[in-house]
Amino acid sequence: MPQIPIIMPQLGEAIAEASVISFLIKVGDQVAAGQDVMEVETNKATMNVASPCPGKVDRLLAKLNESYPVGAVLGYLEVTDEDARRLGLDQHGSGQADPAGHVPGNGGESVDEERKRGVHPTVRGLPVPAHAAGASYMSPRMKARMAELGLHAADLAGVAGSGAAGRVTIQDFEKFLAQLEQSKLTTASSMRVAVADAMRRSWTRPLATVALPCNFEAILAHRKTSAVKGGPALYALRALALALAENSAPAGRLIGNKIVHPPAIDVGFAVEAEEGVLVPVLRRADTRPLGQLVGRYNELVELARQRKLPADATGGSIATVTNFGTFGLTWATPIPLPEQTLVLGLGAGKKVPFWDEKKQQFVPVTEANLTLSFDHRVLDGGAAGRLLTRVVALLQTPDKL
Amino acid sequence: MSITYLEAIREAQAKALADDPRVFIYGQDVGAFGGAFKATKNLAKEFPGRVLDAPISEDAMVGAAVGAAIEGMRPIIEMQFADFSTPGLNQIINQAASLFWRTQVPCPITIRLPSGGTSGGGPFHSQSMEAIYAHYPGLIVMTPATAEDAYSMLLEAVAIDDPVIFCEHKLLYYHCKAERLPTEAMPVGKARIARAGRDLTIVAYSAMVQDSLAAAEELAGEGSEIEVVDLRSIKPLDTDTVVASVARTGRLLCVGEAWPWGGVTAEVIARVATEGFGLLDAPPQRLNSKDTPIPYHPNLWTVHRPTVRSIGAAARNLLRM
Repeated sequence: MPQIPIIMPQLGEAIAEASVISFLIKVGDQVAAGQDVMEVETNKATMNVASPCPGKVDRLLAKLNESYPVGAVLGYLEVTDEDARRLGLDQHGSGQADPAGHVPGNGGESVDEERKRGVHPTVRGLPVPAHAAGASYMSPRMKARMAELGLHAADLAGVAGSGAAGRVTIQDFEKFLAQLEQSKLTTASSMRVAVADAMRRSWTRPLATVALPCNFEAILAHRKTSAVKGGPALYALRALALALAENSAPAGRLIGNKIVHPPAIDVGFAVEAEEGVLVPVLRRADTRPLGQLVGRYNELVELARQRKLPADATGGSIATVTNFGTFGLTWATPIPLPEQTLVLGLGAGKKVPFWDEKKQQFVPVTEANLTLSFDHRVLDGGAAGRLLTRVVALLQTPDKL
Repeated sequence: MSITYLEAIREAQAKALADDPRVFIYGQDVGAFGGAFKATKNLAKEFPGRVLDAPISEDAMVGAAVGAAIEGMRPIIEMQFADFSTPGLNQIINQAASLFWRTQVPCPITIRLPSGGTSGGGPFHSQSMEAIYAHYPGLIVMTPATAEDAYSMLLEAVAIDDPVIFCEHKLLYYHCKAERLPTEAMPVGKARIARAGRDLTIVAYSAMVQDSLAAAEELAGEGSEIEVVDLRSIKPLDTDTVVASVARTGRLLCVGEAWPWGGVTAEVIARVATEGFGLLDAPPQRLNSKDTPIPYHPNLWTVHRPTVRSIGAAARNLLRM
């Protein structure tokens, strides 16, 4: 019976070798075509090596925790003549010109020797990367078809691929589209599509969130006594602006190996409008006290709801404040806008018991969670925590805002 | 009644001789002997003085044909084997191919090349030379895959004013048959959909069309519908038909009996990659002879060239990609 090599597949364009970390089968096992036979690890990820065809595991040459180059023979399967013939695996280099121009051997030993010496750019039969599962690898045709339909890879997240290494083929895609036709379809508003686009772009980054409860008693008292009639989001916005004025580094953006520092402390705030969200901007919010900001703030909220924001009141902000507390929510992990590193979230206030040292008893106070979601490439939990702590501290003295 | 590919070539030459007094045949042993493969059997008798034996010099044969063409004749040259056309290469590529461009005098010659491998043919009697000739501007290169095409394309080759390299496949001579001779034909330069399918396109020419059709038949039994495109002529190359087929299937396997390096399969894939990149759902593949001289031994020969089996295997692999 013919022996077919199990070969270290091409795991990615920049990957030349991988370590075997576990065997999923043992010698003597019967395996199916495409069955995972061993787990390998690269410096990027853990992946599986699949059986090239059905057969019985005859030998395993690979050793645990040893590293092997792409194209290396990791073991041999014993297969039926019929299966070997059907897949053209009974001839070395069948179906493809030998890239090095060698005379193909029939026993395979000379070719194996050849493989040990160097890394071959492609592996017979599977010229797509091994980590191509789903829509993470798209053929030129898929890309062209998706562009034609205005779709993105994220739209295919739910499609299981039937191609090599589980990739989504054009047939899978067309079947998926045909199934969609069976469902009720309505057209998403342009606002919805714009938000979807922004969120999808933003989600390409590693995002993280930190949170801190904030005592709102001082703010509530300030609102009762002062002439300023801004919502809690405005207080939070002004506090964030002041904190960033002290240190604007956390609002920088990372482009390649450069930090792009914010040119001015322009801070946006989210306003729900129709089926989406608009983000009007208060320019140089660090330079104007709360009393001077509130008029413009209320005006922009109204214009946003009417979807009549002037051009100079949108875009170019360095961070955003979102008051998810208006939906009664106490906790959330908002996503920053794609061109921003930070989004400050504001939860709903609630009465909680607070230990009063002077009175030596619990007193009821209004507290709300403040969240800070950030691009983890630019800053870490510590820096985000310090910024959020500073914002909460500033909110304890609203007179100074 | 049926007629073989070889008989179709003989009949086409008989008709060309009968229809046009400017036509004559020139080649080694084409006269009384009837040609190495009997493609000119009895023609010397039927058309006295117009089927002429040549000396064993391909250089002289083509040179004489070019001269005759300049004088208004329409010669058909028979090479005994395609492999032997190389001594005439200078006359073909430097004289015949460029004559019209240099002088505005057309060069209506037809050079028949018995091409491709047969079992036990070995390195000097099995070669497929089409890619060499297709490289040169001014030549038309025909590669018929059926007896019907062998007949109608040879008549067309004689009729047109350009020099034509007519690659007839020796394996098809006896095994490939037509019910009757065709009365009409597709124009030269137009490929034919030999079998319609939706899963994968095989582009082939000459004998490989027949092997590809057999492989497609096998795959149909497994539920895969393979489209087979017969290029018919490799120069001109009907890119439109090929790209349209890939647009339907998204997968391209190009099969040629010639060697891979710089050949027809490379050209087809280059064109599809250039003009139809966005149509490809898998990397285009090709299947050729191994990049070695052609072996004598029948067992080695069947491993050397693409076969129904290896075409089927390549198609199955491509369908999985």
